Amino acid sequence: MTLSKRGMAIIAPVVSIAIFILLWGLVSLNVSADFLPSPLAVLKEGIRLFHAKISGTSLIGHIGWSLSRVLIAFGLAIVLGLPIGLYMGWSRVFEKIVSPIFEVLRPIPPIAWIPIAILWLGVAEGSKIFICFVGAFVIMILNAYTGMRYVDPLLIDAAKSFGATRTQQFINVAIPACMPSIFAGVQNALSMSWMCVLAAEMVGARQGVGFIIIQGMDLNKPSMILVGMVIIGIVGSLLAAALRWIERLLCPWRRELV
Amino acid sequence: MANEIHDGRHAKVKIECDNLSKAFHVPGQDKLLHVLDRVSLKVYENEFLVILGPGQSGKTVLLNCIAGLIEPSAGETRIDGRPITGPGPDRGMVFQRYALFPWKTVEHNVAFGMAVRGVPLKERLSMAHYYIKMVGLEGFEKAYPAQLSGGMKQRVSIARAYANDPDILLMDEPFGALDAQTRYAMEQELRTIWEKERRTVLFVTNNIEEAIYLGDRVVVMSALPGRVKTEYPIDIPAPRNYTDPAFLALRKKVSDDTELVL
Repeated sequence: MTLSKRGMAIIAPVVSIAIFILLWGLVSLNVSADFLPSPLAVLKEGIRLFHAKISGTSLIGHIGWSLSRVLIAFGLAIVLGLPIGLYMGWSRVFEKIVSPIFEVLRPIPPIAWIPIAILWLGVAEGSKIFICFVGAFVIMILNAYTGMRYVDPLLIDAAKSFGATRTQQFINVAIPACMPSIFAGVQNALSMSWMCVLAAEMVGARQGVGFIIIQGMDLNKPSMILVGMVIIGIVGSLLAAALRWIERLLCPWRRELV
Repeated sequence: MANEIHDGRHAKVKIECDNLSKAFHVPGQDKLLHVLDRVSLKVYENEFLVILGPGQSGKTVLLNCIAGLIEPSAGETRIDGRPITGPGPDRGMVFQRYALFPWKTVEHNVAFGMAVRGVPLKERLSMAHYYIKMVGLEGFEKAYPAQLSGGMKQRVSIARAYANDPDILLMDEPFGALDAQTRYAMEQELRTIWEKERRTVLFVTNNIEEAIYLGDRVVVMSALPGRVKTEYPIDIPAPRNYTDPAFLALRKKVSDDTELVL
């Protein structure tokens, strides 16, 4: 039983991906290669790009550029957004001060920041990191805030009954109690900043996966576009998996994760 | 300090509630809900006092007032003659829904009160282990609450309250969420623990049998507004038995008197 369960865990994703590639291949056989290249053509293009330089940077180099933008922005979003969101959920006074501003800024999509970011910070790194940051930051605040609002008051009462100070209640009870929603926020924030980096790179960049896709479009090479898209998918899911692994490490009490 | 003759013994008053009233605003309505109405109560040192009442008799609110988690609208509570100003480590609480910290192992849950007071890690863990053993959970020190049954969780909660070494234990329907079998077992266990480690216990329940089984004295409350209706000394000698004629007679008397459908 255990063995077949473990077998399933490996076989199921392999089978589902194989079916997807097969369907893709079948469709590509019936349309022109300019419309949808076959999986094999994309793979070949990927290998070619891996050995070539695209406007002076290797494929791995482009991935590195995108990743470093995302990770810097994502890191900043956690460092700044997490404390703000947590404290917003904890302190009624702070909530009243911050939430009106936040409520107005929140519905503005990160992409809408691109023009102003370029105006302020130029087309260089600053504006790209800024846009990824905005996307991740809003999500981080939102999840930390709602997580904090939904902390079971009973746990706070229990801490109070042991004479815990307000600070002890916050640090030792409220924050660990919202770990699940913090991690949900971290996951969403990461995929949001990954999404934003591509949008930012499609507007005037010389490096990054977004640039590869735009380059593919300019060169009228759909296989190159698809290589870029596949890379986005793979890197994104690896990042998500890494976060899940960290979450399991930090939240050993959560049986549903194991 | 107030010393009074109680049950023929010379007992010290540990907790004294003096005309406690509590009213809550009903959301969306322009009226007050009177939950507690001039409740006066004395609890003697190392006495096991049970507060028996139906739903909405304000017994949980009363307990939270004594815990210092709720401020009464009027009246005051004194412990050892001093008015209480808030929660404190002199009182330990056991909640119906356990209120264990899911991210802490059993030993760290039990050691929580000591951690709050800044007791060094080694010392608080060895104390925690003592109380874990006392409630019969040896071997589960490193388990997380999610891995335990309801009865086991409530044992952890009792150990956690005891481990902070309070004078007073406040128990809010601690066995209300347990199945009948586990409940009987836990009642017996609690009584045994308390015989060994005497504390002043204030135990809230809506179950007549539980009240008579556990209490030295049972105070009955009525509902809406919560008032003290009557009280019964329980002088059935330990070990008590639910099917003992004296037990059954008292149970009938209490339920006839109080018209509690239980």
